[in-house]
Amino acid sequence: MGTAPVAGAGVKRALLLACAVTTSATPLAAQRTHALIITGLGGEANYSIAFADQGATLHTAARTLWRVADSSLIWLAEDPSRDPDRIAGRATREAVSGAFLTLSGRVAPGDVVVVVLIGHGSGERVQSRVNLPGADPVAADFAGWISGFAKQTVVFVVAASGSGDFVDVLKGPNRVVITATKSSFERNESLFGRHFVRGLSTVEADADKDGRLTVLESFGYATREVARVYTEEQKLLTEHAVVSDSVLAARTVYAAAVASADPRVVALVAERKAIEDELTALRARKAAMPAPEYDRELERLLVAIAEKTQAINALGGGRP
Amino acid sequence: MSSRLLLLLVAPALLAQSDARLTLDAHLRAGRLDEAERAARTAGAPLAVALGDVLVLRGRLGEADSVLRAAIVARSPESRTARVTLAELAMRRGDRAIAEREASNLLAEYQRDNARWSARDNLAAGRAFLVFSAADANAVRSALRAFDRGADLDSSLYEAALRASDLLLEKYNGPDAKQGYDGVLQRNRGNPWAQLGLARVMEFDGKGDAMAKANEALEVNPSLTAAHLFVARLHLEAERDDSAQVSARRALAVDPSAVEAWAVIGAVAWARGDSAAYRDARARAGRLAPRSATFYVMLADAAARQRRYADAERFSAEGLALDSLSVAALGALGTNRLRGGEMAAGRAMIERAFALDPFNLWHKNTLDLLDELAKFRTVPMGRFEFVAPVREADVLLPYLSPLLEEAYEKLAARYEYRPPTPVRLEIYDRHADFSVRTVGLTGLGALGVSFGRVLAIDAPSSRTPGTFNWGSTSWHELAHTFTLGLSGNRVPRWFSEGVSVLEERRARAGWGAELNAPYLTALREGFMRPVSALNDGFVRPRNSAEVLFSYYHASLVCEMIEAEFGAPALPAMLRAWGDGLETAAVFHRVLKLDEKTMDRRFEAWITRRFRGVTAPDTVASDAALEPLIHEVSAREGAKDDAGLVTALEKLIWVWPYDPETHVKLADASTRLGQHGRAVRERRAVIALGPSDRLAARVHLARALLAAGDRTAARREVLDVLESAPTFEGAQMLLLEIRRTTPPGGGP
Repeated sequence: MGTAPVAGAGVKRALLLACAVTTSATPLAAQRTHALIITGLGGEANYSIAFADQGATLHTAARTLWRVADSSLIWLAEDPSRDPDRIAGRATREAVSGAFLTLSGRVAPGDVVVVVLIGHGSGERVQSRVNLPGADPVAADFAGWISGFAKQTVVFVVAASGSGDFVDVLKGPNRVVITATKSSFERNESLFGRHFVRGLSTVEADADKDGRLTVLESFGYATREVARVYTEEQKLLTEHAVVSDSVLAARTVYAAAVASADPRVVALVAERKAIEDELTALRARKAAMPAPEYDRELERLLVAIAEKTQAINALGGGRP
Repeated sequence: MSSRLLLLLVAPALLAQSDARLTLDAHLRAGRLDEAERAARTAGAPLAVALGDVLVLRGRLGEADSVLRAAIVARSPESRTARVTLAELAMRRGDRAIAEREASNLLAEYQRDNARWSARDNLAAGRAFLVFSAADANAVRSALRAFDRGADLDSSLYEAALRASDLLLEKYNGPDAKQGYDGVLQRNRGNPWAQLGLARVMEFDGKGDAMAKANEALEVNPSLTAAHLFVARLHLEAERDDSAQVSARRALAVDPSAVEAWAVIGAVAWARGDSAAYRDARARAGRLAPRSATFYVMLADAAARQRRYADAERFSAEGLALDSLSVAALGALGTNRLRGGEMAAGRAMIERAFALDPFNLWHKNTLDLLDELAKFRTVPMGRFEFVAPVREADVLLPYLSPLLEEAYEKLAARYEYRPPTPVRLEIYDRHADFSVRTVGLTGLGALGVSFGRVLAIDAPSSRTPGTFNWGSTSWHELAHTFTLGLSGNRVPRWFSEGVSVLEERRARAGWGAELNAPYLTALREGFMRPVSALNDGFVRPRNSAEVLFSYYHASLVCEMIEAEFGAPALPAMLRAWGDGLETAAVFHRVLKLDEKTMDRRFEAWITRRFRGVTAPDTVASDAALEPLIHEVSAREGAKDDAGLVTALEKLIWVWPYDPETHVKLADASTRLGQHGRAVRERRAVIALGPSDRLAARVHLARALLAAGDRTAARREVLDVLESAPTFEGAQMLLLEIRRTTPPGGGP
């Protein structure tokens, strides 16, 4: 558990987590999430509005769903006057650089840093960029700025057309790089950002419904939804999103689970976990079991799990 | 003897022969066959083969046979042409073995050494190859090469270019065929055979006035039998039976051996129920070509056009019995079996046809479609067998099955007739497939079709949203199943369409054609045809609007009959047609009046009906999306759940693919306590592949539980939890199901 300077609710939660670790065998999450949202130049009013809307939605999701502390949540945009309460400044190269510097002072080892870059992409390889006000920072600049987060997991999302080359420039250990396209040549208007943001702001993307959205789940949701739109409109898919490290993406969640300090809850959670393990074992035996017997056992275990959840909720230990 | 002297001696003879040929050709081009025959006879041996050809054109086939054989014995320079003409004559009779033997001998020589073959000899070789074209695709290519070579050797031998173009068109290459005909016309203005070729191209492309172009050919050459037959067929297809007969008789006047002409006459006689005339035509065709399928294939086409598919199948089979290698008969038999729902048997026939003629676009399209159909899901439900792509089946059938069951019951009660079941309904998510299923080619404008017990419709996904109501279309097509069945497929098109549109209007408020200003104007300006000629509005419309007007107009005729003669009149008329009566006789038997009186009565009725009525310029069709979306919004705003349900139901019949529509309908239904409908809607959401499938399934489980189907609810929720055991919403529902299950009510 790190001791990075955090404020308000974040501090209290960190302390609670520390207490829980000392009183329970259940591993508790130490992860905190930090977020930098950058919405670029629209060029046309409809794009400016769309990018700003996506930024606002992300900001809300980061605060409410990922429980990112205000001090660790930075939104830079084309036009700060659109939402002055939430937009920290204009998305210039200098502001972006400063934002990374700010976050670097807030992170602790094991934290997750989510960077989402939304806009129109251009350029190739290290010169890949997303159009921002003023001189555009290029992929090489971003690579330099995130190099200081070696002890954190960095989730870097470029939701922009022609963004594919960011992957090779940014990828590395403890990094998940997601781009809306597989190369710099997929330059048509990208739908990825819209669906990626939607996936982060609703429960739809949580494929296994465990209440913990992984980066891979959100990526999968967005790619499925993009493909669906192209299919419904009977168009050839012209954007192919890429994720650099699917194993890490599957392990990385935007918001860590918050464990209760109540020992009764901790015990119930442990019991539920044991039943879930039984269920996993049962499912592995499914093909070898008579169907009625499997069904009976399945229902017994599922009911037991549900009852544990109900009991946990009754003690106020459910999901926030 | 020096070569110079030889030339001096031979040249006059050659010049005389050349003059005679030119004279003969001029007579033939102008259709002066008497003069052509005289010219050929006068020229003697040099034009002996040409004389044989003239006799063939005049249908004096026996004489032609003798003349040609004599020319061969006399070693005529054109004996190769004579030999291939004899082979073709054998083919016309259906003596395929004799034809092939003759052609085969000629081609053996051609393939051994053709370096010194003349242009006409190459033409003969090309024709010989065509004798084998029914069973050998390579023969078609060889024929084309031989025709091209003939044309290269003698550019004035237009027949070579024309035959090449005919062959290209026969093999569905319209553009190249047109280029060939145009080329001939550039060099030989007004060439009647080229003009006829262009008329065929126009028919093939569906562009231009094919009839006018064929008549231009006939103005140049009134003895062009092929043009008379072409015109006769166009008349027949447009149900201008009298004109078809006249053209067929004109063809016979030139060439009494024209089997196709007897086929046209036979088809008209058969359609009119004139069995004596039909038998006579059949006997004459049989004598002319005892082993040819031509007569029966044309009969099959005519029967299919009149939607008498069982008869079409029977005729095709009779044709095939005469000539087992007839591609046309195999294709017709296969197509009509498919229309009857005999998919395996139909496919087998089409496959045989395609193996013989791999150029046939219709057959290729149909086989491709059958491959596609094999991927569809077949779902027997009640009286119906639905065949649809999996997604379409999942989305559409929960609506379509109850709708069509309702339609069946209502129509059966009204018409006192129960069509045999199952009725097969095929649903196509690609309009091109539907089009191929219907006419064998892409590009059909219709949305649905009824072959009787087999119906086919476009899936709404294949159309632009807001242009197609799949509910009213399905109801419309099923109504045809009743009118066709009750009348033994003899009901005229106008009446069948009139009943179908009328039944659409009865089915749901807003369905079916409605009064609009353009129709009212057409009516008041006397544009609409009288009842006795209403069929022409469908088969010979004067403009594209007339067909649409005619649907509505015909439905009003049916309304008038019910109003003036009572509801049983409609089924009684259908039965009368089923008894083989002509329309005039049907009117007489059921309505007790003649056609003219009926025309007057309807005119008086419709004048009364619309006196002082004004109509909007445009009436929203039952497929218009915008008004429905507005209605939904208005009902939502007013928190009128009952109205919202009605509006959403209407919307689904136009565009069923928006998950939000189904969610809203499910929610409104739940609020109204209509849990069965909520279940259907939740299933529709899942069928549409929602973004959050597990959540959608939990919603379904909840709806099932509310609807009292505890077992299905439990199964659903267990399935969800099996893959997502930590899904809290599903866990709580599972506990709720157990909590509310009475003791002994489940596992």
